[in-house]
Amino acid sequence: MKNEELDHILVKSFRSEPGFSLPANFANKVALLVIRREHWKTDVKEYLSIVLVLMALLAVAAGTYFWADKVFFMKIVDFANQNLIPLILIVLILNFVFFADRVLLRLLFNRWSNP
Amino acid sequence: MNDNELISQIINGNMNAFTFLVNRYQKLVVHIAGRLIQRHDELEDICQEVFLKVYQNLGKYRFECKLSTWIATIAYNTSINYLRKFKKGDEVNPDDSAALRNLKDFGTADYEKADLHRYIRDQIELLPVQYRTVLTLFHLEEFSYQEIEQITGMPEGTIKSYLFRAKAILKEKLKFVVDDDSLIKVEEISNEK
Repeated sequence: MKNEELDHILVKSFRSEPGFSLPANFANKVALLVIRREHWKTDVKEYLSIVLVLMALLAVAAGTYFWADKVFFMKIVDFANQNLIPLILIVLILNFVFFADRVLLRLLFNRWSNP
Repeated sequence: MNDNELISQIINGNMNAFTFLVNRYQKLVVHIAGRLIQRHDELEDICQEVFLKVYQNLGKYRFECKLSTWIATIAYNTSINYLRKFKKGDEVNPDDSAALRNLKDFGTADYEKADLHRYIRDQIELLPVQYRTVLTLFHLEEFSYQEIEQITGMPEGTIKSYLFRAKAILKEKLKFVVDDDSLIKVEEISNEK
C-alpha cells in the first residue's frame, strides 16, 4: 500500500470525532454550579464581616468600660473567669446559629430549589 | 457575539453569557480532557473543574492569545494535574517503548476491515499521553505549532517530533491490518460520511 494512502487514512481518523461527549445540559449545570459557588462565597464573606464588626464593637465597649469604670470591668472579667466553659459554649452555639442562618440554610435552600 | 464582548458580559455578571461560552468551548475541553484522561466516568467532573477555573480566572485573561488557546491551556493543565495526582508518573512522560509494545498486542479479529477509523482511534488511545495531546490539538482542534507550544509548554521541535513519531507508530500498526481491498472500503465509507 502506498505511503500517501496510509497518511490520508490517518489524517482523516485524527480529524474524526473521538466519541467523548458531555450531557446535553452540561452548560446549564456548570452555570448553576458557578452561581452556587458565588453565592456561597458572598454568604461566607458577609458572615465573616458581620462577625468581625461584632467583635470590634465588643472590643470598643470593653475598652470604654475599662477606661470609664475599671471596677465594673474587673467584675465582668472575674465573672467570665468563673464561668469560662458555659460562656465559651454559649458563644459557640450563638456563633453556629448565626452561621447556619447566614450561610448553611441559604446553601440548603438553594440546593433544594435547584436540585 | 465575539469573544471580547462575551468576556466583558461574563465579568459584568451575565450568567447567560457564561452558559454561551461553555456551549461554545465544551467540545474543545472534552476533546483535550478525554484524550488525556481516558476515563469517561470522570470526564464531566474534569470539564466542570476546567470551566470553573475559566470563570474564576476570566478577569486575569489579558487577550494576549486567542480565548480558545487560553481555555485549552487550562484544560491541558487540569488534565495533566489529574493524571499526576491519580495515575503513575510514567503516564505523563512519553515513552515510545510502551506504545510499541502495544503493537504486538493488537488483534485484527476484533475489527472489521472496513472499520479502520475506529481501529485507529483505539490505537491513538494506546499512545503516550503527550503524543495523544499533540495529535488532538494539531489535527482535531487545528491549533498551530505556536499555539500548541503556548498550551503545553513544549518546544516547537518537540511537538513536531511527537507528531511525526505518533504518526509513524500508527502507520506501522496500520500496515498490519490494512490491505488494498479494505483501503478501498474505507475510502468509500469516508466519502459517504
